[in-house]
Amino acid sequence: MRTLFSKVLAMFRRRFLDQDFDAEVEAHVQMLIEQNVGRGMTPDEARQAALRSMGNVTRVKESQRESRGLPQIETLFADLKYGARTLRANPGFTLIAALTLSLGIGVVTTVFTAYNAVALKPLPVADPSQVVRLERWFANSRGDFQYEFSYPEYLYCRDRNDVFTGLVAASGSHAVVADDSDKLAGQLVTANYFTDLGVPAQVGRTFLPDEDRTPGGNPVIVLSNAFWERRFHGDREITGRILKLNGVAFTVVGVAAREFNGTAVIPQVPDFWAPVSMQAQLAPGRDWLNMPGDKQFQILARIKPGVGPHRAEAETATLIQQFAGTYKEADRTITVTLQRTSLVGNTEDVRFQASVLAIMLIVGMVLLVGCVNIANMLLARGAARQKEISVRLALGASRGRIIRQLLTESLLLSLIGGAGGLLFSIWTGKLLWIGLQQFLQKTSKGLGFDIAVGIDLSPDWRVLAYAMALSLFAGLLFGLSPALQFSRPDLTVALKTDGGFGGGWSRSRLRSLLVATQVTVSMVLLISAGLLMRGLSRAEVATPGYETQSVYSVSGDFGADPVKVAALEQRLMDRFQNLPEVRNVALGTMPLLGTWTLMMVVGNERGRTLNSYASDTYFDLFGIPIVRGRHLTRLESEQGVNHLAIVSESAARKFWPGEDPIGRHFKLDMNYRGSYMDFEIIGVAKDVRFTSLSRVDVSHVYLAPKPGAWNAGLLVRTEGDSRRAVAALRAAAGTIDPRLAAGLSTMNLEAGPVQLSRSFAQISALFAAILAALALALAGVGIYGVMSYLVSRSVKEIGVRVALGAKAGDVLLSVIVRGLRPVFCGLVLGVAGAAALSALLHATLALPGSSDFFYGVPFYDPATFLGLSAFLIIVAAIASAIPARRALGVDPMVALRYE
Amino acid sequence: MPQEKPEILPGTLDLMVLKTLAVLGPLHGFGLARRIEQISANLIELNQGTIYASLLRLQQRGWISSAWGVSDNNRKAKFYSITRAGQKSLTAETKSWERTSGMMTRLLAMEAEN
Repeated sequence: MRTLFSKVLAMFRRRFLDQDFDAEVEAHVQMLIEQNVGRGMTPDEARQAALRSMGNVTRVKESQRESRGLPQIETLFADLKYGARTLRANPGFTLIAALTLSLGIGVVTTVFTAYNAVALKPLPVADPSQVVRLERWFANSRGDFQYEFSYPEYLYCRDRNDVFTGLVAASGSHAVVADDSDKLAGQLVTANYFTDLGVPAQVGRTFLPDEDRTPGGNPVIVLSNAFWERRFHGDREITGRILKLNGVAFTVVGVAAREFNGTAVIPQVPDFWAPVSMQAQLAPGRDWLNMPGDKQFQILARIKPGVGPHRAEAETATLIQQFAGTYKEADRTITVTLQRTSLVGNTEDVRFQASVLAIMLIVGMVLLVGCVNIANMLLARGAARQKEISVRLALGASRGRIIRQLLTESLLLSLIGGAGGLLFSIWTGKLLWIGLQQFLQKTSKGLGFDIAVGIDLSPDWRVLAYAMALSLFAGLLFGLSPALQFSRPDLTVALKTDGGFGGGWSRSRLRSLLVATQVTVSMVLLISAGLLMRGLSRAEVATPGYETQSVYSVSGDFGADPVKVAALEQRLMDRFQNLPEVRNVALGTMPLLGTWTLMMVVGNERGRTLNSYASDTYFDLFGIPIVRGRHLTRLESEQGVNHLAIVSESAARKFWPGEDPIGRHFKLDMNYRGSYMDFEIIGVAKDVRFTSLSRVDVSHVYLAPKPGAWNAGLLVRTEGDSRRAVAALRAAAGTIDPRLAAGLSTMNLEAGPVQLSRSFAQISALFAAILAALALALAGVGIYGVMSYLVSRSVKEIGVRVALGAKAGDVLLSVIVRGLRPVFCGLVLGVAGAAALSALLHATLALPGSSDFFYGVPFYDPATFLGLSAFLIIVAAIASAIPARRALGVDPMVALRYE
Repeated sequence: MPQEKPEILPGTLDLMVLKTLAVLGPLHGFGLARRIEQISANLIELNQGTIYASLLRLQQRGWISSAWGVSDNNRKAKFYSITRAGQKSLTAETKSWERTSGMMTRLLAMEAEN
């Protein structure tokens, strides 16, 4: 320890210690001489003898220097210093390389930043590593509700476990009406929610321990930071303020910590939190606290110190299963697992991980191209340094030492690039955040409800470490092969020939391989992006095939009982129908918001089909023509799911090609478990883009709406001014129940879902364009670098051949063709790769529910493939023409004398 | 003809230096080398440069300290002196050396009997 300290210290006092030691040795020698003179030697003899008995002074000094400090680190510093000097000496190369790396690392780090914010950063609670989220696994279904538990289940676990120090429950965000006009989203939580999670209040207090005991007796709320700032501009005198929620006066007792955005699985920040005892007031008409099967709450738990996760998990699963024995469960829970808490739930899901990986691979390609570029430039430049390296090898430097030095240089470069990349990613992260917020604002306006999202995109140590590791990896990637190449000890050749006819065979082969790789990757990126852009630009003009401008979906808190909901909807429909501002009213599925796919059986044939609900007036409302057969009658429609169906033209073509489908029968697997129902076709509807704006439905079956189902909502088509119409709808609802009017929300089909699809396409196209531009720029720079190197190496060859009578142009052409050969190889490979990729994307279209990113552009689109190949060839030609012209200007005599 | 003198046993130089400094007080490099040669009755001839490697090692361990001073014949020289930690380690090292050498002696004696 002490030795190490003194060594580290010595490193910084190097020069001083050197001089000090020199003086000491000198004094020693002088004393020896004096002693020898005293013994009667002549001064010369004395000096000789002194030096002899001293031994090799230089060796002594050297060993002193080595064991004094830490030679490994000192070598590193020396290498770094040397590398920095080399980089400074070639500012052009350094700049391009650093920029290339910054872009590549920046793009990848940005993706990682987003992933980190969503999946890795822990929740802002005290000691987050001990906090887990309960996740249940059902026997039959899967989805978001796997995080949901009933309140009785919560109580059962809370009172019987001995593995948790705290167990809290929070409902999903529930919309309530504030001050008779405004809609707010609140969560019902247990009183220990804040204290057990360790989330303090920044103003006032959080809930008291027994503030969730008396039903209806705790009208207090804690505000979220976002809501507090938005609505009350961060007023610190907020406590004691009264807010009327659903007509009940609630008192604000505090504001939660600034960084706490709630614990929802989807990062939606609620406006306020209220104790669970206020459920009847905030979510009227329900009985969440007593129904064992009403799964409305998420449970988070803090594991007792010293209790292993497996034990905690096993005990929780046992408790939930014990509880399941006390009532009839709709779907059996197989087990319960404890999930590490991050901002978004279920990030361990394979599909999520896979899509993150896919994005990483795509953006990683940009970095790969960049690295290949730099490797190439290093190879080209290294040829010029070959002499320096050969001299060092000849003087006895080991190969390892040279490799180490070259690698240090590469790593220095990559760290500079990494720092740039980090800055770049912080910047794009901010941009991304602004873009996301604008996007959300726009869509939330269109969708008719507020989405407040809290994602913290600021970089933390994980991002720093990631960027650092990435740069080191990149440095090794582009630095290793040149370093290995240059340090190959074929001394005599290198010393003798200074840039002869071409480089060594293996080196030029390596370079060709690198160029080919780079062109391949660029081509894949370019064509994929080209196809995407061509397709997505069609999103702007894609016509859905039905009315969107004047169609609204109308929703509100209609209660939890399907029968009552259906009755209320019917009353509303009757009122709406009589309004002059309303043209049609119908029940059914809102297009573009997600349909579902069912297995359809026709005789022996099986296939998938999209499915949705449509009442008798549905097709008139949307203006979708029934091309054959008839509509449902009102009576048939009101029966709910009966045995009548209307199918799309595409479904008719698919299952009854060349036949009249009217009167035919088919079966549908209604719950994915083989409960087949039989349907008779009464009509055929025109094909539309119902599920996704990107493509016409491949097969669609419309059924009579299930009463009260969430996906068979109230739809209205207005007449005339839309704002007046919406006001009229609200007023009409108010004649049934004033509170219904306040909570009523309307969503315009055009401004909501259609716009959402278009914005998504725009953003994707922009992303694709940026990637493609990056790939193209990098490929251009790469080809230029290699060609200019090749041409400059061939100056002598050109000179000789011209002197022997060849035409300069012909010689040059042969050089360029030789140089472009790997470019063509890469081009072919790249086209093949892109074709494979787009064919893969095309294959996913076999699923009826998937969307077509190309918006109908064929996946082999010749225009894109040929056009972009030609484009890349032109770029390559220009990139090689510039150095070629320079070579043509060289006088052959100069070239020959150059030696 | 110079007589063939034995090489110094590896690892023993540090102990010699420590002991010399402990007994004779502060000394410079030349003085140390001369003393060690004298005490060994010129049986070993130090390659005097190597003494500095030993001095550096001891210094890094904090067993000796150094300061510039003036020698008997008015020459500027670096003087080394043993520290408290050095004293302690000298005791320990001495014991360990005695054990080793005692053991060697016994061992060699045994071989002579057989």
